[in-house]
Amino acid sequence: MRRMLIFLLYGVFFGFTLSRVGASDYDLIYALFALTDLKLAWVIITAIIVGHLGMRWLHSRGDLDYLDRPIDIKEKSLNWLTPVGGILFGAGWAMTGACPGTALAQLGEGKMLGLCTVLGIVGGTFLYARLVESGIIIQK
Amino acid sequence: MVASLYAFFFIDPWPWWLGGILIGLLVPGLYYFLNTALGVSTGYGNLVKLILPGSRLKWLNSDDYRNVYNWRFFFLAGIVIGGFISARTGGKAWFQWEMGRFTAVLDWSFPLLALWFFAGGLLLGLGARIAQGCTSGHSIHGIANLQKSSIIATVFFLLGGYVTLRIISRFLLGGM
Repeated sequence: MRRMLIFLLYGVFFGFTLSRVGASDYDLIYALFALTDLKLAWVIITAIIVGHLGMRWLHSRGDLDYLDRPIDIKEKSLNWLTPVGGILFGAGWAMTGACPGTALAQLGEGKMLGLCTVLGIVGGTFLYARLVESGIIIQK
Repeated sequence: MVASLYAFFFIDPWPWWLGGILIGLLVPGLYYFLNTALGVSTGYGNLVKLILPGSRLKWLNSDDYRNVYNWRFFFLAGIVIGGFISARTGGKAWFQWEMGRFTAVLDWSFPLLALWFFAGGLLLGLGARIAQGCTSGHSIHGIANLQKSSIIATVFFLLGGYVTLRIISRFLLGGM
């Protein structure tokens, strides 16, 4: 249970950060894709660099967590579905000004249309489960 | 001094570098302390299962979703709480019905707006599962680990977003 509480705190930290830096701001996502304000591009690029340096540090100590248990970094599979899903995701990103993480932050902020986005993502995930069930999508 | 520090962290929007550094630290931080890969969109499977607990769909009964209240549920719940705290300290209204430029330019009724954002959400949810990740799992965690599928997925996220925004901007929001 204590472990779940820590996950909750990590989530609070993530949601607060996304909201404070403006990642949950529709106009900043609009400006990102309209190429008029690249603030969020810099946020993502900085996060990638810091994340990469942190992972290098983890590699340097043998890919072990703080209890010296090995960490498992799974590689996601690459196939023709990757670009298809990517385009669909990008279209939704531009339509809503949100991604799955920032939509949750918007919901917390009290944005009612953010709630609609969250419900849509839940629906899209259900749709995926149905398409997998009927064999229309075969993932690896 | 204390007041201006408080304003910097809790009232004003953060500079890009602060948000970037803190989000980046989540990637090794989650591995180091919780032995877990950063990712948000997979947690929406928990929310589906929460709404449809009796579903027999195989995907919803895979190992990832056998227990609805696993780490993903708590991580997602935390994101909502984090957004809530940010809006409170930032002095936002409890309920906001607008959405930036979109609702400033278009005078759509709320049900129509709700439908638009729901439809966009459908694409986000379906696309993230087909591509096996979203902005956090692919663009941040995956690229930070130099994974090829994440780089490809992110290129197409941005391409899809760019083209879609041009269309929305041209036909709905009246130019860039």
